[in-house]
Amino acid sequence: MNAIWLVVLPLLGAFLLPLVYRENIKLRIGIGPFVLGLNLIIAVMIWFDVAANGAHTIVMGGFPAPLGIIFYVDQLALLFVIMVILGTLILWLGKEKDYIGYIQEETLLLLIVGGSCGLVLSGDLFNIYVFYEIVAVSSYGLAASRGSYAASVRFLILGAFGSSLLLLGIALIYAVTGTLNLAHLAVLAPQSLQGIVGVTAFVFIIIGLGVKAELFPVNTWVPEVYTTAPARISALLGGIVSKLALLVILRLLITLYESSAAHLLLLTLGVLGVITGELAAMRATHLRQMLAYSSIGQLGLVAIAFSIPGPAGIIAGTALALHHAIVKPALFMLTKAWGKQLSDLAGASKVSLLSSLLFLVFALSLIGIPPLPGFWAKFLLLKGALETNIAAYQMAIAVVLIATVIETTYFMRIVRLMFQEELKKTSTLKAPALQELMPACVFLAILLISVFAIKPMGTHLNTLAISAADKSVYIDQTFDKTLFP
Amino acid sequence: MTVFSGVIFTIGLGVLLIAVMKSLILEQVLTGGIGSIILEQAPTEVGSANIVSSVLLAYRGLDTLGELTVLFVAATAIGLVLGQRSPDTKHDSEAGFILRSAADLLFPFMIMLGAYIILHGHITPGGGFQGGAILAAAFFIPILASPASPLNHKVSSLIEGLAGTAFILIGLFALVGKGYFLAPLFGTGDIGALFSAGSLPLLYLAVGLKVGSELAGLLARLQEV
Amino acid sequence: MTETIGIQLVSYSGAMGLILLGIFALVNYEHLIRVIFGLILLEAGVNLFLITLAYRADAVAPIMIEGQTAAMVDPIPHALVLTAIVIGVAVQALALALVIKTYQKYGTLNTRILAQRIAEESGTRMIEGIPTEVKKV
Repeated sequence: MNAIWLVVLPLLGAFLLPLVYRENIKLRIGIGPFVLGLNLIIAVMIWFDVAANGAHTIVMGGFPAPLGIIFYVDQLALLFVIMVILGTLILWLGKEKDYIGYIQEETLLLLIVGGSCGLVLSGDLFNIYVFYEIVAVSSYGLAASRGSYAASVRFLILGAFGSSLLLLGIALIYAVTGTLNLAHLAVLAPQSLQGIVGVTAFVFIIIGLGVKAELFPVNTWVPEVYTTAPARISALLGGIVSKLALLVILRLLITLYESSAAHLLLLTLGVLGVITGELAAMRATHLRQMLAYSSIGQLGLVAIAFSIPGPAGIIAGTALALHHAIVKPALFMLTKAWGKQLSDLAGASKVSLLSSLLFLVFALSLIGIPPLPGFWAKFLLLKGALETNIAAYQMAIAVVLIATVIETTYFMRIVRLMFQEELKKTSTLKAPALQELMPACVFLAILLISVFAIKPMGTHLNTLAISAADKSVYIDQTFDKTLFP
Repeated sequence: MTVFSGVIFTIGLGVLLIAVMKSLILEQVLTGGIGSIILEQAPTEVGSANIVSSVLLAYRGLDTLGELTVLFVAATAIGLVLGQRSPDTKHDSEAGFILRSAADLLFPFMIMLGAYIILHGHITPGGGFQGGAILAAAFFIPILASPASPLNHKVSSLIEGLAGTAFILIGLFALVGKGYFLAPLFGTGDIGALFSAGSLPLLYLAVGLKVGSELAGLLARLQEV
Repeated sequence: MTETIGIQLVSYSGAMGLILLGIFALVNYEHLIRVIFGLILLEAGVNLFLITLAYRADAVAPIMIEGQTAAMVDPIPHALVLTAIVIGVAVQALALALVIKTYQKYGTLNTRILAQRIAEESGTRMIEGIPTEVKKV
């Protein structure tokens, strides 16, 4: 199966969806989930193919690697593709009753999935920029979907600033190498990208991609957007889409910037993200806002993991990213009824025991209490950082541990409020509707299944990371060195 | 205080950019790169006299699809943000007689020019984007002259969806026929002739229609607020 | 040779100047329309930079005409710029639509005031970037 279907199918669906809805309103429930389901099946089929035969490339238009655009299909990329499609599909369950603009919202959801698939699969720098823009512009639209225009416009300005810097970085790389293909660049990088131009380009690219990846200096949009956007959208953007930009940064680190300075830059940004995110989350007074800051901290953890050179970093980062992609959307979906001041949550377990318990389990996993998967993800991170024997990473371990303590403080404070306090007489707390809890329950099922499947998942991640960390595999697969010396 | 730090930040960035520029001009004299290979190969592989068109639609066809998608995303998001126009809002007043007649007079010529630029995109400077922008202007100028007769959004969104679908279908057709998404079809033909460069003119037609309808819809919607 | 460097220097300086102006506006201004103008300048600067990359001395536009033998400029940046311009237009249109709606809803376009209003509405108050307890009435 050609991996281009993963991108084309959602785009085709999105182009036709408004037309079909206008003609036949009855088809509306089915189309989006149908397209995503089909996409999921294709992704899983390609996954098994790649697992059996190893990574391969898809050539667009029949032009060989450095001339045309290629998709590099390996298990790491497919894992994130499956994560996006499955996550969007599960969040689709939490859809509300019809409201104004639901057609556009569903179109944008399909487009964001198509863009995300292209973003992780693409092996061409400019193509990455184009898909990044699809994802970014759809998220501006989705963030504004329920009247939060001001937060969305502030998000858009920061995002467009980041995109321009990303494009400038790509232009600088093209200026010194004359190519855009990642494999070709990987061959040229040791000579061409070590100078001031190459390093400047990397800084611009990391800041540009950092807007979506919620990296330290450019994440001011996060709390505003996640507190004002609908719960489903916050869950999608914060839990799932934000990791893809980090994956692209990882790819660049593997292929283009192997120097320790580049890794240390990402490490620094990650550490700063963890510190600021967790400290702000502790001082937050609003549940959504707290989750938003906590997602900055969690993505900082993923960035720290990805900055560890070699397969250990990829294993830890992927595990953390996947775990966060299960837990954070579920927590955001719970906030639909309860996303207000923290003090209002007093006695919430008396209103709805089920959702309080769900909150407890997800919070425990996010903190990293064994045997929940969050523990193993953090454990892999600490193990990977310890094995590097570089002082900066050892310092990062201390930061991660302190951050865990802070996380425990603020999550347990809420759990205590929910379970131990009496319900206030004036409390207006309502039990969430079953429809809203459905996505969280599905995510819980995935979380519990993964508890029992830790071992096979670990071996899978291991093989996946070893092949992903090997730059020569990437080069040999995409690029015929005899043609373009 | 913030102004001061902003100035410092900009100055620092300026120094960095000047250093980059110095290194680009004085040290890096790039020879080769994929551009020169494409200049050599494009005439035989794609057969379009305008090599930028070959790059845009053949070598980097997926970028063009992505770009059409970004435009579509923006149009959808604007539709979501601005919502439906309520029928009883007041229109701007009509423009004077001269402006209205001129707009009507210009309309056929601009359509013709737009169509010409789209259809000759593979042999002359021009193409789907430029022609599409002219088409959009052709539909938007009458709206500016007489705001009471708005654009038919139903038709424009129909063309939008169908043109985008057509672009993808041509690509998928190539995937089935030649094994590669968006591979050039139907041979190259005589370079420089109107019917040359295989499926490129068809792709440009799709691009032109999509860009035209999308931009016209965007402008009209922003004007209706 | 010196003439080539001259042309490149002017073009590069123009691009860098536009980029710096754009970033200056983005960082320093609080009015949304000015900030969006900053964005437009920034995008224009990046596009000019890309076009300058394509420049080759004594080369013509990459369009084949019978009997022409001169060298051609690099076609790839031209294609990239075309894509980048359209993406830029799309983002700017969305930005303006959001600005219209923001103004209708809040009656101001000052980003600082808007940030405060967002915080008030969602029940989170920001003081110097750090959220603090909201006083109950």
